[in-house]
Formats: sequence, structure tokens, C-alpha cells
Amino acid sequence: MALRLLSRRQQRESAEPQQPQCSGSAGRQPRPKDLFQPAERTMLPDDELQRYVQLERYGILLSQAQRWRGNAAFRSALAQARQAIDDSFALVLDGFASLPQTINDAPGCPEIDVETAPYLLARYTVTNAQFQKFVDSGAYSDLDLWPRDVWPHLIDFKDQTGQHAPRFWREACHDRRLADHPVVGVCFYEADAYARWAGYRLPTEAEWQMAASWRIRSAAHVFRRYPWGDALDKQRCNIWASGLATTAPVREYASGAAPNGVLQLVGNVWEWTSSDFEVMDEDERPIVGDMLMKSIRGGAFDTYFPAQATSYFRTGQACLVRAHNTGFRCALDIDGDDR
Amino acid sequence: MSPSYAPETTGTECLICHVQNSQDAVLCGNCSAPMAIVHDSIAQGRSPQLVSIVGESNVGKTVYLGFLLDMLAQRAGDFEAVPKGAYSIDLQQTVINHLAHRLFPPKTPMEANQWYWAYYQICKRGRHPKWIDLVMPDMAGESLAAEITTPKTFRVIHSLLTMSAGTLLLIDAGQAANGATQPDFFALKILSYIDTMFAGKRNERMRTPTAVVLCKGDYCPEVFDDPPGFVEANLNRLWNMCESRFENVAFFAASVVGSLGYATSGDVDDVVVPVPLHTALQGILEPFEWIIDQL
Repeated sequence: MALRLLSRRQQRESAEPQQPQCSGSAGRQPRPKDLFQPAERTMLPDDELQRYVQLERYGILLSQAQRWRGNAAFRSALAQARQAIDDSFALVLDGFASLPQTINDAPGCPEIDVETAPYLLARYTVTNAQFQKFVDSGAYSDLDLWPRDVWPHLIDFKDQTGQHAPRFWREACHDRRLADHPVVGVCFYEADAYARWAGYRLPTEAEWQMAASWRIRSAAHVFRRYPWGDALDKQRCNIWASGLATTAPVREYASGAAPNGVLQLVGNVWEWTSSDFEVMDEDERPIVGDMLMKSIRGGAFDTYFPAQATSYFRTGQACLVRAHNTGFRCALDIDGDDR
Repeated sequence: MSPSYAPETTGTECLICHVQNSQDAVLCGNCSAPMAIVHDSIAQGRSPQLVSIVGESNVGKTVYLGFLLDMLAQRAGDFEAVPKGAYSIDLQQTVINHLAHRLFPPKTPMEANQWYWAYYQICKRGRHPKWIDLVMPDMAGESLAAEITTPKTFRVIHSLLTMSAGTLLLIDAGQAANGATQPDFFALKILSYIDTMFAGKRNERMRTPTAVVLCKGDYCPEVFDDPPGFVEANLNRLWNMCESRFENVAFFAASVVGSLGYATSGDVDDVVVPVPLHTALQGILEPFEWIIDQL
């Protein structure tokens, strides 16, 4: 047949690393054209404490420290956990976020001010390599991590080969060339389960906005449209206009960091928050989805309109959608007794 | 028969239906195509090619074409594009303005004299840059349906499809995935119409490049994993028609909207308004690029 038809088998055999791309940005980054290169699985030690360290479940180590107080290696494990959290989380000061209540957030539209307490926010979104540890630990089979009403959907949380893993992985492995890219193809529940598994949580929408707009309580009363200031600079973030057309490693775009060093709050991938998406249209009718929608923030590499990748733009996604452009980052309260 | 590029004294021949019009005509009296296209092509000294975007009503032809033109104007991918005339910009402006305000653009009217037309000079950069003059009309889905059901209802559509150097056939992947047969039947009707129009011999297959674009991928993300597999599984009539009668077909998936909400007061009688919450462009340029490569 002369048709340019790829059969499904051909398509599978020529599988490329599936960190999906968007449509036609200028200066597209070349994608490796060879076959999927699976990352190595995490080797898990028998000792429970060492296993937690190996899996980087540092939040759990800190919050459940009493479990291992008799373990000789506990002191060094605790120090390692504290150091890792110091390195990978940044303090977001208390302040408040003004959340527009309608989808078109023109001047004068109704807003509500939400107070936020100080908290720690991950400097980077969770990477494929980090999420690999969650998968390798058997977390998809640990029903304690998943709300009961999600259990029937767990069978849908599969990768390209039918294994429990993010949507674009194969054989429950990410492509090792994308190890430091944000994990995508995870729904809200997978993001939430990972955060709790690691001993953290997802930020609320107001906390996220506070971190991105840096509207701290001060005499200056600053509100930033972008984490770095008020003017769009497509060199400081990865949106459609930036031209990359796919995800970037989570430590790139250092010049777009928030004042506390949190990277990529705008662009690269949308970020799940723990808040329900609740806005109205201009006629004050609530906007609903086919299912419960959660608020996602920040825009992604395929966000066409720069106005949709700002510190205050509100949008939502159905909580079971495993989108190619949506990842997440973790948050941590600072009132824990061991921190 | 092709339009003359010599200075006209008696009238101007419509580029689409080749009927003579008075020199000051704004629209062709026969098919309602804007005569500005003819004047611009004469000014350029080049004969533009036509690319048709077809599909049933509400499949997203206007949004697709609007974003495609805007992306081309922003030099997306390897393309450079120059609009010829302000009328060529109206469609992309309407689409972009609406989507930026999280609204869908109004439905394209059935009347051909109210359609948007875009005339662009497009260059695909590369080792051998290729400039092409393209005309792309935004046809109404209802008009297409009327023409394929009752041929010659819309002469302009017949003329456009006859002259098309390439066709993009848009299909609602979400509906198809839900088991609806309407997208399959509509696609089959359009291809059957085109096939009949060319009246090829039994063993002769249509060579005009045809890109089948599975739209609204946000409803059905799986479509991006394997577009031909999706067509074979969910649009089998279309698949078989392509195999039998169309020689140069490729399958794509596309999406503009990243997430869709619905504004509703909850009252039974209230109209539910779909709200495009944010954009997430996928697969817009690829089918067009494939068509351009075939020209």
C-alpha cells in the first residue's frame, strides 16, 4: 500500500523518548531519534532506614524520626535528610494572594485575598528520576497512598506498555535522557500520592501564587507579574514563544528564579496544586468540568499566550487527566517539631 | 483554464470559479470568493495554490486555521509567512482575540460571502527555501454538509475542492473515541465527494495530498500516541476509503485547548457554554508542513 500509514506495530517499534512536544515553535530542540533508552531501576536495600534514604523520602524521615531513634545510622540519615531539604526547598514568606474570581481577570474584577503562612516550596519540579523511585518502591500498589474513590481508576494509571507509571514512560521506566526533566503524564492523584509518599504535600493555589508573585508583607507591597519582575522575558522561562517546544531540565532558566531561588514557576510545565478550581465566567456562572477540576498554575512549554503564563493566571484541569504538559512540585510546612 | 495575469480591460476572472467579473467587483458574482485574491495574485504575478480545510460543523476548522496562520506569522517551525492584504489577517485576529479571552470564535456563517479568506506567501526555510503562494478559505461546516449532500448547492465549495492542491480533513477525535459514528460517516461522505468529483478510473487513486487531522486531542489524549491506529480502530469506514481510493494520505492528531470548562448556572434551561480555559498547542503545524512538502 502506498499510503503513508504507520501501523501500530511500526509505531511501537520506533518509539522515541516520549516527553511530548508542542506544535512548531521556532528553533525547535532536536529530539533524539533513536530508540527509547530506559533508565535503570532503583536498587532497594533491605534496611528500612537506608531504603527511605535511597528513595529520598526525606520528608517522611523527618516527620517520623522517632521510628528509627534506635538505629545506629539514624543520626547520619537525619543529617542527610535535613541537608537535602535545605538544598532543595526554599522559604516562602507569609503574605497574601489575590485570587481573581472570574476567568477574565480585567482590572476591577472580583478578587479574594487569601492569607498564606510561611512554608517551604521545592526549588524544582519533581523530575522523572525522582518519580522513578516512587514507581520502583511499589507505591502504585500501596492503597494507603490513594484515596478510596480513586482505587477503581488506579488501573488506568499506566504507561505506554501497560505498567503502572506516568503516561509517557515505557516498561515502568523513564527515558534516561529525560531524567532531569519534570515528570509529566501524571494526574492530580499521582502527584498528590508522590508528595505524601515523600513526606511532603502539594502547595495550595494561594501558596503557589504567593511564591510566584512574591507579595510578601512589607512596606513595599510588591506584586510581581512574573517571579523575576513585571515584564515578560521569554529567555527566562520556557513557554511557546521561547521556542524550545518541549520540556527543559528542571534546573534551567536560572535567570527566571523567584527571589528565594525557586525555579520555573512560570513555564516549562503546568503545576498541580491541592486546590479545587473554582472560578466564574463574566456572568457569574460557575465554571465546571466533566469531573472535579484542580487548579494548575504557571503555564507550560506549549502555552501560546504569554498572559496565560503569569503568577496570577488561574486555570484548572480535570483531576484524572494525565497531560503531556503538567507536572508538580512539593511543599512542606515549617512547623514540624523535627525541622 | 487559469486566470490571466495580463492587464485586463474587460473584466477580472475569478480565481476560484473562473467566471468573469467586473473590474470593480468586491466578491465574485458567481461563487462569492473575494476578488481581492485575484487582484493580489495579479499584482504578485503568481498563481496561488489552494489548500482546503474541511470537516463537519464544530470540529474546529476556524480555530485550527486561525492558530495555524498566527503561528506561521510568528515564524513557527521552519516557516516564514507574509499575509497578502488585510483581509488575510482577519481570521487569525478573530481567533486569537477570542481564545486569549477564553472564548471560542463565532460560528462561520453558511453564506460564502461572509467567510474569511487568507492569502499568504509562505516560505519553508531550509537548504532549498521554497516559497509558495497559498489561499486558504474558512469554509462553514454546514455549507460543506449541504454541498456534499446536494452537489452544486455551494458552487464555491465545488470549485475550491476541485482546485485544491492539498486537503486537511479535520475529525472530532473525542466524538469518535466515544463511539459516535457521525465523524466516520461525515469523513466518508467528504472523501467520497472528492473521489467522485475527480471521477478517476477504478484502479486510479486520488493523488492530491490529504492530511487527516484528529482534532480536539484534549478530549482524548490517546489519539496522539498513534493517529493511524486510532483511525483504523475508531473510524474504520474512513480508513478503508483511504486505503481504496486515496494514494497520498497521512494521519495526524492536533489540539489547541489544554483544558475545557463549562459555564452553567445549573438551571435545566440554561445554555451550557464551553470555556477554553487555556491553550496547549499540539500538532497544529505538522499536517500543514506535510502538505507543503507534498506540493
